[in-house]
Amino acid sequence: MNRILVLLSVLLMLAITQLYAQNPTRISIKGIVQDTNSAVLADATVMLLSPSDSSLVNFGNANEKGVFEFRNVKNIPYLLKISYVGFLPYQQHLTPSPTAINDLGFIKIKPISQELLEIVVKTAKAPLSIKGDTIEYNAASFKVPPGSTVEDLLRKLPGIEVDGSGNIKAQGNDVKKVTVDGKTFFGDDPKAATKNLGAETISKIQVFNRKSDQATITGVDDGSKEKTINLELKENFKKGEFGKITGAVGTSDRGVLRGNYNRFNKKEQFSVIGYANNINETGVNWSDYGEFKGNNTFSSFDNGDFGFGSGGDAFFIGGDDDLLSSFNGKGFTNNLGGGVNYNYTHDKTKLSTSYVYNQTKLNLDQNQNKRTFLQNGSFSTLDTSSTVSFRANHSISGRWEQMLDSTNTLITKANLRFSNSNSAVGTRQEYINNNDALQNRINLNNSSNLNAYNLNGTAIFRHKFKKVGRVFAASSSFVRSTTDGTDNIRSLTQFFEASNPNDQIRAIAQLNQNANRTLTLKAGLNYLEPLSKRFFWENFYNFSNNQQNVGRDAYNGLIETQRYDSLSTYYENRITYNRIGTGLRFNKKGINLSLGVAALRYDLSGKVYPTEGGNLTTQISKQYDAIVPNFTATFNPQQSTYIRFGYGINVNAPSISALQPVIQNTNPFYITEGNQNLNPTKSHDVNLSISRFNQSNFTSINLWMNYNYYLNQVVYNQTVDANLVTRTRPENMSGAESFRTNLYSSFPIIKTKWTTNLSVNYNLSNTPTLVNSVLNTTNSNAYSANIGFSITPSDKIFVTLGGNYSINNIKYSIETRQNQNIISKGLNIDAKWSFIKKTFLESSFNYTGYENDRFNFSQNIPILNVSVRRLLMKDNRLEARLAAFDVFNKRQAITQTGSQNFVTYQQAFTLARYFMLSLTYNVRGHDAKLKKNNNMF
Amino acid sequence: MKKMTLIILLLAFGIWAKAQKNEGEVTFKRTTSWTKMNDQMTFLSKQQKEKNAYMFGNIDISTQTYTLFFSPKRSKYEEKEENTNGYSWRKEQFIIYRDFENETLTDVIDFLGKTYVVEDSLERPQWKILNDIKDVAGHICMKAQIKDPIKNQVIVAWFAQDIKAKAGPERLWGLPGLILELDINNGACVISASKIEFKKLTTELDLPKKIKGSKIKEVGYQQMIEKHVKEKFKEEVNPFWSIRY
Repeated sequence: MNRILVLLSVLLMLAITQLYAQNPTRISIKGIVQDTNSAVLADATVMLLSPSDSSLVNFGNANEKGVFEFRNVKNIPYLLKISYVGFLPYQQHLTPSPTAINDLGFIKIKPISQELLEIVVKTAKAPLSIKGDTIEYNAASFKVPPGSTVEDLLRKLPGIEVDGSGNIKAQGNDVKKVTVDGKTFFGDDPKAATKNLGAETISKIQVFNRKSDQATITGVDDGSKEKTINLELKENFKKGEFGKITGAVGTSDRGVLRGNYNRFNKKEQFSVIGYANNINETGVNWSDYGEFKGNNTFSSFDNGDFGFGSGGDAFFIGGDDDLLSSFNGKGFTNNLGGGVNYNYTHDKTKLSTSYVYNQTKLNLDQNQNKRTFLQNGSFSTLDTSSTVSFRANHSISGRWEQMLDSTNTLITKANLRFSNSNSAVGTRQEYINNNDALQNRINLNNSSNLNAYNLNGTAIFRHKFKKVGRVFAASSSFVRSTTDGTDNIRSLTQFFEASNPNDQIRAIAQLNQNANRTLTLKAGLNYLEPLSKRFFWENFYNFSNNQQNVGRDAYNGLIETQRYDSLSTYYENRITYNRIGTGLRFNKKGINLSLGVAALRYDLSGKVYPTEGGNLTTQISKQYDAIVPNFTATFNPQQSTYIRFGYGINVNAPSISALQPVIQNTNPFYITEGNQNLNPTKSHDVNLSISRFNQSNFTSINLWMNYNYYLNQVVYNQTVDANLVTRTRPENMSGAESFRTNLYSSFPIIKTKWTTNLSVNYNLSNTPTLVNSVLNTTNSNAYSANIGFSITPSDKIFVTLGGNYSINNIKYSIETRQNQNIISKGLNIDAKWSFIKKTFLESSFNYTGYENDRFNFSQNIPILNVSVRRLLMKDNRLEARLAAFDVFNKRQAITQTGSQNFVTYQQAFTLARYFMLSLTYNVRGHDAKLKKNNNMF
Repeated sequence: MKKMTLIILLLAFGIWAKAQKNEGEVTFKRTTSWTKMNDQMTFLSKQQKEKNAYMFGNIDISTQTYTLFFSPKRSKYEEKEENTNGYSWRKEQFIIYRDFENETLTDVIDFLGKTYVVEDSLERPQWKILNDIKDVAGHICMKAQIKDPIKNQVIVAWFAQDIKAKAGPERLWGLPGLILELDINNGACVISASKIEFKKLTTELDLPKKIKGSKIKEVGYQQMIEKHVKEKFKEEVNPFWSIRY
């Protein structure tokens, strides 16, 4: 049996060898390309492909007689392909040739219907896919009005006819079947799909001959074919949505409810978001904010303040709402908020609208110790205060960006806000004089109520001229805001050093009614002219007019009809600003130089009346002119190396509050008064930055420096009387300077596993102020250093370690004995560990120490947070987390500042230890990754 | 064997090629969409990709302009210097010379902050020819496809049926017609011809007299890319933030 098999095999092999031996190994393949009318197609492209994967083996062109020849090619199976403009690609399978020359003779190729070629390929620029006898159309290339059905779309396609009752013919044959993504839709009636489906849901239309059902079932090809249309659905039309909801309960009545939901398709994004908590989340985090605003999170070209390089395509983050959490670490808050957002982006239109509401109730208890230095000693103020406040905001925003045509763009934005707030502050303040004796004590009980509305709008228009580089832009904007409020001031002051009993105690009860109206109008023009390939000439003009009307009526808090005329006022301030500038820019291969100059004028005018509609008591009118230069240079000598140097003079108008000629006596020991005579502040600004990133070893180094010298700076000069009452008034003073520098570097110690970053800062400032008419210069030298490591030993563990130290040495020229060092130091360790699949242990430890040698103060705060979370359900849709916050119950907010002629140390109570269990359901499932989830909560 | 084929091919070319419409200058617009590029970042979860597309979907496009000089014998591809806003960044060096006659390539490429000169013999890319046709810049083009396993890219090329030149944009070439469009990974990067000028070229195709940079072979260049891509994937960072897509 075996022997027979062997014999047969040998015979078979011999036969095969024999068979192949007859075929030459190398052959020539030739033929003549013609169209169906036997006309020669000269220059046709002829390709030999491998039949298994269509890969290109060889190619050539037919000559002017349509003749082609491949010489000396391997004698293997080929797929011959011929292409010619206006003809359907021709394909023919070639088997190994028994002769040395495989002459294919005349090859006739079919033209593409003129209609198809003109309309589909040339006009609509749509790819036309030809697969055997299937022709595929790209639906997006055929414009139909929104809301059209597939039937309307089919009417537009060349080669397809749809009659009045919806019957379809393709290339003259009745279409028997319409499928959607290859599946039969609504039974056998082809019209069911075409009449019911929206045209916008379709990405492709394929027309082909399909074997009849009979042939498909029996497997016997009876040769009868049916014209069939297949509709392919758009990928992104398959409904998109995501969202999540979190509920949490904790000890000491802590609770959180938070959720967001988004729906989107290619053109539209719709989202809702909401939150409620009492764990000091005053808004949503950055990640959720981004999801809420969608593709409107960043918007460019929104700056209409042109001049010296600004007003370009800088990105602006966020909008006018207060949705982002911005808790400053002090007190206890109850928060509630939410909003809806809608974005529409299509072709040349980008529209975004949103409504946001948020409210926060704050309970804050804090202590403050302030030491003030005078020319002959110092005094201390000890405050204990308790605040209860509430604020609520409604904000409606819209942004519309429209490319009017290829050269004109218009951006418009508007925002309307309503807000109301009220607060009640109870403070006990004690004044300790130079001899460590209690001199005064004051008990303050102030409450206030405020209603505000603000409407602002901006329009920016840009035009690009035909000449490349010539650009014109114009902008205008307005802000209208109104605030109305009342302040209720109650205070009781005890003067312990007064000898006269009448002077030993003083009580104030006052009611202020305030009304502010502000209107700001702005406009800008910008024109960029290319002088040559390297030189550009930039011109700009800015205008703004700010008009403010402020009225305040002060009454006796006990007898509300008794008006205090000395504390009441009505005034109008108007600041008009005009700036015109010109500059020359040069640029060449990474070198950009810009030199410019601008002339500006401020017109300040103020009118003071005793009451609205009263007789003018004071009038001030001032004009301020300045010529300011500007120079910037940037160098980009190597890939990833940037150097920038800039010098300019900045001129800033005094703030409206500094100009207000109103006495603020909410604290009778700290009385401020505005100054209508203020001039704008002028500052020389020099800056330098160098950054370099070495891409091959991932080392980056950045250095920046900034120096400012101020002329006519607005400073708050002080007069302190024997009763330790401070009167402060803003005045212009020259000579202040500041220098800041930072060096940052980051480099890997072990690539992809261990990265180190280092940062060193030095800030110097010299600030002059008058204290009781004596010049005091406060000199501050602050040094700080940071080091951090981020370590990823495996996919399952991620650790960051860091340490920082900062020291601020402050010297006061009027009282050198009070020179002091404010020190803060910290250490932090964060670790995340995925110890079981889908289960994560996350902890962070933060140790901060505060010291002040003068105050003899030293406090250390260790904060430890630990949590365990586990992902559950299919696709990790549910996340359960058990967390312990501030395990040692030590959290409080400490602030140390020293400036002018004082130093303060502030301690505020806030949310400390609590435990919380939370559940989060995510529609799309949670990320089962360690690294990216770095939000503790 | 391949060489043989090429020689035959070149001979065939010599006989058949017509002088007209096979020499000139093409302007290409190169458009990169960063969120589409994310599709191939296997380390990103579905949620992160969707979030990126949702937030940055309309501001993630960057466009550059390139020029391709071509003739049947040679080609040169480089970035066009454009000054439209009065500001100029340093251009990345990316100058691609192809000599089809002598079968050599000379490419000047910035890679991770260093300039390299890739010099080697030309190896014809392994194209697949597909059946679709479409119009690019007024020329009917056929579709071809190739894979770059190192960068993990599927590249679709559209080559003109009526421009008999083997040149193409980027580092690609070797089709029976001039390549007028490339689409890398489903639109993540599209290089498309916006203007075609047929003209006699003189010095445009010449190599500069001095080329600065460390010399490297094609294999070495590909190995550097492979190493970088692997490293960055391990770090879970898009490798194409730092190298050319």
